[in-house]
Amino acid sequence: MPIIDVQHLKKSFGDNEVLTDITFQVEKNDVIAIIGPSGSGKSTMLRSLIHLEEINGGTISIDGEAFVENGVYKKVDTIKRVTSKMGMVFQQFNLFPHLTVKGNLQLAPKMLGVKEDVEAHTKDLLMKVGLSSKENAYPKSLSGGQQQRVAIARALMMNPDILLFDEPTSALDPELTGEVLSVMKELAEEHMTMIVVTHEMGFARSVANKVVFMDGGEIVEAGTPEELFGNPQHERTKAFLAKNLK
Amino acid sequence: MADYWSSVILPMLDGAKMTILLFLIAIIVSVPLGFLLTLAVNSKIKPLSWLATIYITIMRGTPLLLQLLIICFGLPMIPGIGEYLVIDRFTAACLGFILNYAAYFAEIFRGGLLSIDKGQYEAAKVLGLSKSQTTRKIILPQMFRVALPSVANESITLIKDTALLYAVAVPELLHFAETAVNRDFSIMPYFIAGVIYLIMTIILTIFFKWLEKRFRFE
Repeated sequence: MPIIDVQHLKKSFGDNEVLTDITFQVEKNDVIAIIGPSGSGKSTMLRSLIHLEEINGGTISIDGEAFVENGVYKKVDTIKRVTSKMGMVFQQFNLFPHLTVKGNLQLAPKMLGVKEDVEAHTKDLLMKVGLSSKENAYPKSLSGGQQQRVAIARALMMNPDILLFDEPTSALDPELTGEVLSVMKELAEEHMTMIVVTHEMGFARSVANKVVFMDGGEIVEAGTPEELFGNPQHERTKAFLAKNLK
Repeated sequence: MADYWSSVILPMLDGAKMTILLFLIAIIVSVPLGFLLTLAVNSKIKPLSWLATIYITIMRGTPLLLQLLIICFGLPMIPGIGEYLVIDRFTAACLGFILNYAAYFAEIFRGGLLSIDKGQYEAAKVLGLSKSQTTRKIILPQMFRVALPSVANESITLIKDTALLYAVAVPELLHFAETAVNRDFSIMPYFIAGVIYLIMTIILTIFFKWLEKRFRFE
């Protein structure tokens, strides 16, 4: 059974249809890179999965349970329960500026009464992202790369089954993307299920096991990195790759 | 000479007490009231939002002095019910300041609310926080932080605005200064009053600077 199952997803902003008819599945432990030109609907699609956008038609199931079926949303509790299996990392990090690194990590687990040892989990995750010494720092005092690593640790605090990344390195200076990508690579090696909207073709090629190319609100082509980068079938894919692979 | 000074300064310090009392009452009540007004303006219940907006427009759009005169002298003149609206001058003045300043604070807080990026709401949502948890733990602390310099500014204005009590004959700092000036034909009491106001605003400025530093989040 796929861990994410999207059927005939449609989404419009007013008269502007941004996602026409998206169908795809994600298997457990997949690392999926979604690539495509700006305005192709990649981010909107990703945001729909975790209910940051309301879709107009189609079904989204997580771990076998739909939170929206044929465009009709379930009860708020159901949506919350189903989407809580996912965590999300944003392009602009969206750390809470008034809380320390530790505060950022612990706010949600503490508010939601998570049973496990929050302190120990915080230490483990900060170690994992290489920021143990920044526990008491405020986000403002960190570099972009460090902030994004905190954001990843914050998402992991909730023990998600799936992590969604919305252009996680696009707001970073080029020399800082590496440290974020290497944390993501490590997660992939630990078999975290991940969907990554990205412009990092290198990352898509070397870390993802599946690459999805979107253009004009639809999935044009999907396959393994070898298939998609080595032997693209569609003209639009070829054109995009020609422009984005040096 | 010492007698002269104490005869001038002591009543003025007494008046300053009145000024400080009014300031404290006004600030303690109008800040939360202003915040409630902000919530009302942003409410999904349209009539509530309109009422709050109209209220803010009127209170910010007319002079505080006029509002004080209406509350102190105008209300008791309303035929029929006026006799029940005679309130103690100081209470009336407090009411006027609270009602007026709440409107200003509401606008300040609204600005603070607008300054918060929608990414903050989204991050809270994907972490599973409820709306009320998000408001309490993420939005309000940031809103107050953004509003702090404007609140400081408004508070200093409030200290100086207490001089308007003079017009409705509540014996505050300026009242005693004026009395001394008329009695002694000396303008010294004005300067002394100025110094006392200055000391009060400087203390307030230092306090708010400390608050801003305390909540700099760096």
